[in-house]
Amino acid sequence: MDTLIRNIPSRVSRAALLGTVATVLFSNIGTVSAGPAEIAARMHNRIAGVPPSATVLSQMVTMVQANDLNGAALLATQNPNFYNVQLKTFVTPWTNRDQTVFAPLNDYTATVIGMVRDDLDFSTALSDDILYTVNSSGLPAPSISGNDHYATAETNGVDLSTTLKRTTQSATYGLPVAATAGLMTTRGGASAFFVAGTNRAMFRFTMMNHLCHDMEAVQDTTRPSDRIRQDVARSPGGDSRIFLNNCVGCHSGMDPMAQAFAYYNFDATSGALQYTANMVQPKYLINSDNFKQGFVTPNDAWENRWRAGPNAVLGFSGSLPGSGNGAKSLGQELAASDAFAQCQVTKVFQAVCFRAPQTQNDLNAIAATKASFKSGYNLRKVFAATAAYCSGS
Amino acid sequence: MRCAQLSPASRKAAKPVRLGRTAAGWLRHAGAMVALAVLAACSAGGPSTSVNQPTSSTSTANSYTGPAAANADVQAFKVNLWENIRVSSKCGGCHHEGGQAPMFARSDDVNLAYQAAGPLVSFTQPDQSELVLKVSGGHNCWVSDPKACGDTMLTWIKAWVGAGSSSTTGIQLQAPPSQSVGGGKQFPVNATDTGTTGASFAATIWQPILSQFCSNCHRATAQTPQQPYFAPTQAEVAANANLLQDAFVAAQSKIDLNSPDQSRFVVRLRDESHNCWVIPPGTVPDCAGSAAKMLAAIQAYAGGIAVTQVDQNLVLSKALSLKQGTIASGGNRFEGNLVAKYEFKTGTGTTAYDTSGVSPEADLTLSGAVTWAGGWGINVAAGGKAQASTAASSKIADMIKSSGEFSIEAWAAPANVAQNDAYIVSYSGSATTRNATLGQHSMQYEGYVRSDKTNTNGSPPLQTAAANMNAQAALQHIVLTFDPVNGRKLYVNGKFTGDVDKTTGGSLANWDDTFALVLGNETTGNRQFLGLIKFVAIHSRALTADQVAQNFAAGVGERYFVLFDVSGLSGVPQSYIMFTGSVYDSYAYLFTNPTFVSLDPNAVPASIPIKGMRIGVNGVLSLPGQSYSTINTTLGGSTYSAQNGQLLSSVGAVVASDKGVDTDLFFLSFDQFGSKSHVFTDPSAVVVTPTTTTNPTSADLGVKTFGEINATMSVITGVSMTNAAVNTAYMSLQQSLPPASDLSAFVASQQTAIAQLAVAYCTALVDTAASRDALFGTGLDASINATASSFFGVSPNYATNRTDTTGVNTAHRGIVITALVNAAGSTANPNTAAAITTELNGLMNDLPSITGQGSITVSAVTKASCEAVLGSAATTLK
Repeated sequence: MDTLIRNIPSRVSRAALLGTVATVLFSNIGTVSAGPAEIAARMHNRIAGVPPSATVLSQMVTMVQANDLNGAALLATQNPNFYNVQLKTFVTPWTNRDQTVFAPLNDYTATVIGMVRDDLDFSTALSDDILYTVNSSGLPAPSISGNDHYATAETNGVDLSTTLKRTTQSATYGLPVAATAGLMTTRGGASAFFVAGTNRAMFRFTMMNHLCHDMEAVQDTTRPSDRIRQDVARSPGGDSRIFLNNCVGCHSGMDPMAQAFAYYNFDATSGALQYTANMVQPKYLINSDNFKQGFVTPNDAWENRWRAGPNAVLGFSGSLPGSGNGAKSLGQELAASDAFAQCQVTKVFQAVCFRAPQTQNDLNAIAATKASFKSGYNLRKVFAATAAYCSGS
Repeated sequence: MRCAQLSPASRKAAKPVRLGRTAAGWLRHAGAMVALAVLAACSAGGPSTSVNQPTSSTSTANSYTGPAAANADVQAFKVNLWENIRVSSKCGGCHHEGGQAPMFARSDDVNLAYQAAGPLVSFTQPDQSELVLKVSGGHNCWVSDPKACGDTMLTWIKAWVGAGSSSTTGIQLQAPPSQSVGGGKQFPVNATDTGTTGASFAATIWQPILSQFCSNCHRATAQTPQQPYFAPTQAEVAANANLLQDAFVAAQSKIDLNSPDQSRFVVRLRDESHNCWVIPPGTVPDCAGSAAKMLAAIQAYAGGIAVTQVDQNLVLSKALSLKQGTIASGGNRFEGNLVAKYEFKTGTGTTAYDTSGVSPEADLTLSGAVTWAGGWGINVAAGGKAQASTAASSKIADMIKSSGEFSIEAWAAPANVAQNDAYIVSYSGSATTRNATLGQHSMQYEGYVRSDKTNTNGSPPLQTAAANMNAQAALQHIVLTFDPVNGRKLYVNGKFTGDVDKTTGGSLANWDDTFALVLGNETTGNRQFLGLIKFVAIHSRALTADQVAQNFAAGVGERYFVLFDVSGLSGVPQSYIMFTGSVYDSYAYLFTNPTFVSLDPNAVPASIPIKGMRIGVNGVLSLPGQSYSTINTTLGGSTYSAQNGQLLSSVGAVVASDKGVDTDLFFLSFDQFGSKSHVFTDPSAVVVTPTTTTNPTSADLGVKTFGEINATMSVITGVSMTNAAVNTAYMSLQQSLPPASDLSAFVASQQTAIAQLAVAYCTALVDTAASRDALFGTGLDASINATASSFFGVSPNYATNRTDTTGVNTAHRGIVITALVNAAGSTANPNTAAAITTELNGLMNDLPSITGQGSITVSAVTKASCEAVLGSAATTLK
């Protein structure tokens, strides 16, 4: 068609030809009723992003005919593109501040993919000493000071579904085990959210990516303000109403929890995550004259003030203390919340069903999927269950 | 200061007894407690006022020809204070030789003046000096704002006693009045608001009394206007209703709603015979009758105002207002070489006074959008500036040209960190000619200084490094210094920014003394600074780093030690929770350093639990900004000492103001104090039920994203994604492909990118025999370069009948069509498969029929067929 297109005089005509082809086929699809084969193909396309092979389609059709939609969907998750494409696209926006999908593969993304592939408990994703590397020839060694290992793997088209290898951050990066906190302390996470600033970015983006709540949604001005750091101006531009009506809403809850990251910094010069045990990073003490009577961070003790008040709806676990030291225990606190499970299930719903839940049936399906997700936190099964729900009828 | 009646008795009553340097040290002096009680009694009913007596010059400040100063201290007195006050326009008008006693402003003998001034000055606490208190209380202030006179007097006294004097300042703690929380009545919002008795300020107090008997002095337009302006005439109010509201606000500090007989309005008439009026007409002034009438009016007004109720279940301290606390002297500032100083204490009108004490006073006229800020300061909004006259400003050029160096010091809070060319302090003639300017440039501060090394605009400027982000939208102490050697230096919050002036120092001899000092803008109005300015000083010396740090440490604004009585809760006699409180800005107070203390040096708290402390205002607990609700400690033990009490928290709390500093009544609430407790209930979580629809409003289909499209094309064609040509195309097109599945976000350019990627895949597929054979078999190989019309055949009727097979080689077409349909997985949907088949058959008829394309090859048509399938909705939708 390249020759054809080149010879059609106007760009408009070329586009029209392509559009005609697309439109005709589109309209045909829209008018058919779904049979088992179409349901199977649709689930496969939604899970793996590619059409099924004839063999897989046949197997899935058999399962669909047996009313085993879930089984058929799980079969689709065995397609390498579920890991190489679907999950990579699903996770990549979590690993950078721009939330772009067009970012290179990194250890954050690879670790999520590996955990899904291996059916690991995803509630450990924010706290475990875990890392997935790519076991393939021709790759630079994984390094805490660079992403070449993963970027090269992507460039080489390495099949992540077969080459990801589970290891630990402590063994690969030399981090103390106590300093590891799953995805948050991967190099990808650290380079995006521990770089410069005040480390509040790590808290905010973790809330956004794993509890599906940006700070605006969790504003609560009724929390105590005693842990808000000195760098937060209490009278921005001479107007303390801004602080009392807005700033305090986020910082009163965020600052006591972001204190968990007090020993972390991503050094942009060396390109490596730094962890200074028992030594608060200078970034926690900057702009101290903005409010001298503000909180001076002495350690990495965090406290979840949102267990009370309006944000109790996030559903933090009653079996955890709600306070602790360091990122690992904070990660456990966040991942044990109902919001974490709800968030993962909702994200998968949007990725597989292409829309936010809208109907009561959608909500019921999410509730049911969340309930089963909480038993083992198997994210692959969430994809399957959701694809089954959205498979059409 | 003319005609002051400073009797020895009154001086003693007003002089505070000092207990030690800091608040924590007061317990060392138990004997002073009696004096505390005396002072507390004196403070009831609001601040004092004094009568302005007719002025008459009876003494002038000619050159001094009397005896020489007896010693160095007398000489210091002479130079720093006496020369300033002995003029007839100030204290010398009355307190001259042979005039009113004490004759501290006599011009005949400085040594005698020195002796007379001694009892009127506090060397340890200059701001509590009788001289300061009298003029700041309104006693013959020589400008319209008594506060400005007080500050000027304080500057002179400090210059005399030495800058180091207040470092040994003793802080006098005063026991506050005992007020129950919510027991206090609060002023209504408006002057015309009536209570249950139907009485309003306007109808009951202002109209029948103030406007009748006080308006000769206490209004802005009076012949001899006297603050506060609570008595506009009825004609003035009829013309401008805002004057009544202003009068209402001004009168509030003179009215005690809770104890009307202690109202300053009543006390002044009853006890001080202050301008009483005649009752009935034609008789002599009747102070008792005047006071009774005033008291009756206030009682009628106050009687209709309900007591603000507070939840009686709370565990509460006693209540008090900020100004019922003890003034905490500010830290010790270095002001040895002042040229001009602005503290913005006036709070009303359009003049900000120069309180440097250096004549002529370069007072600033506020114009445009400049408003007074709470806690001293001015808010500068768009179009606003504060400018001095060029004549008064000339002292700056004169003094600085002599010294050859200077400093501009400011406490300011930029409204944002995006404004550029925002001049905080400028001494200039226009936007392009200046002597010196301190400005903000986004997150940088900058200084312009005219010298022989810079141009007449003071350029190039010295800017702080952008990376350091020195300028923040918070209250900051900014100092620009210049000395002949180093040139300019900028200090922020007491620290040198490290930015070196590459133009170095030089001479300031070319400064122009016809320029004007302007704050918040340029004289021409086009260098707007938006934000708060709380303090500005100009020095004729370059402050040293230590001096800058000292002035930063001294802080800005008025602070009080506020003592909340908790004796009833703790069981410890005379026990208080003491805060340092201040008006933080126009909208809030700042409370810091909560400390449990007892005025009884023998009292010791015995393991008293204290938990969850909150600061309330006017009977209401507002939740935002509570910094002490997490306190959970025990009073007593090793952390408590009789001298220092027990610090409960090191952080500060910003508490929103309610009705204003004169009337806001604070209290403390506790979750637990000793054996008393109240369970605080957090706001409950609200579970929001999502709104649902019966049918989803969005499409049930999605577009494959960039990666999925790439993978799908690879799966269908069998061409690896790492194929060089394909990969190059993909990397180029990646961000033009759909980033998300939302069908409604799909745009034409993405379809174009899909087509381009399809071209890459199909080219690689058809041009590579192995790939081609893997998908299509070998049926195309021999004819790949043959004409498509001969190999696939063309129906002559296709234009009218797209399914017509006349002349069509169905078998050959099937090689391509069947393979593509199967590879695309379209067999799952027979309709899709049929649609693709129909379209590809049409394409195979169409392409050779295009004019000039009769010789199109099998290869090209196969590629086109491939591209049509790859780029179609059949493969790009999911």
